Amino acid sequence: MSGPVFSGSLELAAGVVLVCAAVTLWRRSLNAIVKTLAIQGLALGAVALVLGIHQHDGGLIAVACFVAVAKGAAIPTLLRRVVRSDPTSREAAPLINVPASLVGAGALTLFAFATTAPVTTLLPTTAGRLIPIGFATLLIGFFAMTVRRKAVSQIVGLLLVDNGIALIAFLATSGVPLIIELGVSLDVLLVVVVLRVLATQMGSRFGGFDLDQLRELHD
Amino acid sequence: MSASGAVVTSVAVGFVQVLVIGIGGLLLVGLMRKVRSHLEGRVGPPIHQPMLDLRKLFTKERVRPDHASWIFPAGPVVLVATVVLLAAISPLLTIHPPIKHGADFFVVVFVLLIGSVVLALAALDPGTPFGGMGASRAMTIAALTEPALLVAILALSIPARTSDLSSLVRIGLIHPQLIASPGRILALGAFVVVILAESGRLPIDNPSTHLELTMIHEAMVLEYAGSDLALVTLGEAMRLSFLVALLVNLFAPWGVATRPGAPALVIGLVALAGKVALTGMAIATFEVFTAKLRLFRVPELLAGGFVLAVFASLTALVVR
Amino acid sequence: MLAIVVLILPIAAGAASAVLAWRRSVSWFGTATSGAVLITGVILAVQVVHGRPVVALDGALRVDALSAFMVIVIGVIALLATWQSVRYLSAEIDAGRCSQRHAALYGVLVQAFLASMLLAVVAANLGVLWVAIEATTIATTFLVGHRRTRNSLEASWKYITICSVGIALAFLGTVLFYLAALHVGGHAHASLDWTALIAVSHHLDPGVVRLAMALLVLGYGTKVGLAPMHSWLPDAHSQAPAPVSALMSGVLLTVAFYALLRFKAIADGALGPTFPRALLVTVGLLSLVIAASLLLTQRDYKRMLAYHSVEHMGLIALGAAAGSSLAIAAVLLHILGHGLAKGVLFLASGEILLSEGTSEIDQIKALLVRRPALGGIFGFGLLALLGLPPFSLFVSELNMLRAEVQVGLGWAAAISLVCMAVIFGAVMSHGRHLLLGSAGGQRVHKTPGIVTVPLIGGLVGCAFLGVIAWPMQSLLQAAAHVVAI
Repeated sequence: MSGPVFSGSLELAAGVVLVCAAVTLWRRSLNAIVKTLAIQGLALGAVALVLGIHQHDGGLIAVACFVAVAKGAAIPTLLRRVVRSDPTSREAAPLINVPASLVGAGALTLFAFATTAPVTTLLPTTAGRLIPIGFATLLIGFFAMTVRRKAVSQIVGLLLVDNGIALIAFLATSGVPLIIELGVSLDVLLVVVVLRVLATQMGSRFGGFDLDQLRELHD
Repeated sequence: MSASGAVVTSVAVGFVQVLVIGIGGLLLVGLMRKVRSHLEGRVGPPIHQPMLDLRKLFTKERVRPDHASWIFPAGPVVLVATVVLLAAISPLLTIHPPIKHGADFFVVVFVLLIGSVVLALAALDPGTPFGGMGASRAMTIAALTEPALLVAILALSIPARTSDLSSLVRIGLIHPQLIASPGRILALGAFVVVILAESGRLPIDNPSTHLELTMIHEAMVLEYAGSDLALVTLGEAMRLSFLVALLVNLFAPWGVATRPGAPALVIGLVALAGKVALTGMAIATFEVFTAKLRLFRVPELLAGGFVLAVFASLTALVVR
Repeated sequence: MLAIVVLILPIAAGAASAVLAWRRSVSWFGTATSGAVLITGVILAVQVVHGRPVVALDGALRVDALSAFMVIVIGVIALLATWQSVRYLSAEIDAGRCSQRHAALYGVLVQAFLASMLLAVVAANLGVLWVAIEATTIATTFLVGHRRTRNSLEASWKYITICSVGIALAFLGTVLFYLAALHVGGHAHASLDWTALIAVSHHLDPGVVRLAMALLVLGYGTKVGLAPMHSWLPDAHSQAPAPVSALMSGVLLTVAFYALLRFKAIADGALGPTFPRALLVTVGLLSLVIAASLLLTQRDYKRMLAYHSVEHMGLIALGAAAGSSLAIAAVLLHILGHGLAKGVLFLASGEILLSEGTSEIDQIKALLVRRPALGGIFGFGLLALLGLPPFSLFVSELNMLRAEVQVGLGWAAAISLVCMAVIFGAVMSHGRHLLLGSAGGQRVHKTPGIVTVPLIGGLVGCAFLGVIAWPMQSLLQAAAHVVAI
């Protein structure tokens, strides 16, 4: 793959990952948030694909397809079933309102760029310079987990954290050894399955998916 | 070319640009209305209808509220004056505008802001409820768009290492691959949101509504009549066409005149007209399919634009 | 070969649980396999103490002294917990709170949990270590929510969300270590194998290793239960069934800490001891202070025990921060002693919950009078955990404090002593309320021997370790040598 095409497509895919992370803070409808997560999963697969083609690494291309299927299709489908069973599938009142969360996302991105300086100095390549985007996605995922009230939104935040870390892993090391990558993806898939089961149980037992109702255990 | 000859040419170019923005603005508004009408299944008014409206308004009697001071008539005048100034000095037809390096992007932003602020003050002046309400809403939106706009300008200026408009356009011409970089695309998104907010189009403000609940800009100019209203309408149309022209020149600069001389200018004019018309039609189509946002949701959209601008700046910083 | 046997045992027990319907015999089979794991661990320990590490599966599994020690720890507490599981499950089924299928699921999950922990300690590759610890999170989530009440559902939700975030951060730290290793040798030589990383530790880029170590302390620290990432611990450990709490509190926390010890060894090579020490001292002291302040106001005895775990994890972190041979040996002894004592206490508290029906301290009185054996076990267990002689925690805490003073962390040792004193007072007052008092003429119940015998055995073992150093001495020293500075 030629230089500018490689760097351009890599930057574009990484940029889409970051924008999707911000959009999950923006939208209120849970269906839209899950769709955005699907797009982010596909973009993540695209990043791995571009890297694989550039380095002529067949294993990485296989991982890219697996990641795209798992994160772009399988996990959003699992989440959509939970959303469908929730009668009020809108994130109506997050703890921090939407404009403030968006500004917070911008601030977290700046923070991510500042703190990952040692990694980018170690890797001044095209891929290395995009690593802060992965950190920013991770921080935005953290943020989403803490300020959202719906169970599905917390799962989405967790998946954002995972996607950010996967992006960093792909950009920094062109993927960790294949078997680790597969183990990680399977683990994430299993976590989502478990969370889905829990969320469904929560729905039937608490009569809703509002995390505000989880208040019994505290000091 | 002698020095005085250069000055005369520059003044002429500036004059021509003002005319283009003025007449073009009115035509653009008419074109957008026509496109909307066609998409809504109506025939709609002719494209030059705004010019006819303007001529009608100039002949009508000027009515001023009793308690208004000199600010009230000054508002429309300042509004038009700011846009005329900017149209004269910006690189719209040619990248050699009348005043060399005069059209700095920050200057553009703040001069436009002067126009908005004076209009808001003029709306507060007569002390009517609609004017006050419109002014407060407009200033809220302005307070949110300005940071987004400034950061988006930063995103464009970083790769070019200057915020001078002519240099930005020239760099767009020389390095076309920069146009498609993700930083530019994010900045484009931010700019589109900002332009929709500054010119009062959907989904932020409906230019054809007169319901109290939904008016923002219309509420500010409700008290104007006669030639005052004519100036306001002209000023708004010119703002819209100026902003759209700037947008197309920054992100799709092909056709702008790079050499002095009449033929290049004519090509520049035709290119600009075509691009602006296309963008206007795109905006009008978008408006047909969008509903106006509730007022308290507007900050969310603008904050989203701000975040896009922040991302654009960061990618511009990182990806060089 | 033995390393593979260690893994196959719980897998076999789990398969048996899955295939056969729940019967007491199937459950006892699970207990037997845990006993076999313990025996295998002892054999492995004997082999590696004086010889070289045992390698299996073409280098994928590697048992050195540290791993062998952890296998013993897991085996001992698994034996106790699975023994009690039989009684717990039959009582739940009799009371109608649990179906047979549910009990079978419990059996499968517990064995899967044990298998993942064993994989974590015998894996040679740090990536496999991560996968194993993630697997423990997945296996234990449903175990925590086993009772299907609202509270246990809430506890398992918090558990999995917080621990998944922590595990994700730990993965990022692992990836960054891999990145640093890549830059030393390139793709051909880089790997996540621990011995390979130790060999190149001096060449790793310090900036990246610093960031990676911070992420790992945050990430694996969440699974260890160190503050400020501890908020899942009281809920999960108090809502889970008693044998599961014993396993989680006694072993899982320390298996996650084992992972931290492995990474700390690499970081010490790359950065020197200062930065990892600073990180561990910070989280250790924070855990101690938070545990001390929150223990004062506890009303539920299971939550009290959970917060006590946070305190002990803080102590272990401080000990590991000191890093010398003495310190790590003391830490490992503490891990074993704490596992035994905490396991016994949680199992006893499970029995108390079964017989009293409530887990509030206020509502139980004079346990020592009404159920002497159970009350006695609980009382001695509390004494063991508080670090009184002759139990081994006294010895390990003393040595940890000595080691901390030796490396210049005397101020941290002083703060930890103050916190321990506060905790001493709090736990004694809660325990006194629970155990002493007048029974008001109620009958004296006898607790069945099947419950008391293993628990008394655990306490005796803990005391034995505290008095006689001989069986563990060389193993502890060899294990400490693996990761000490």
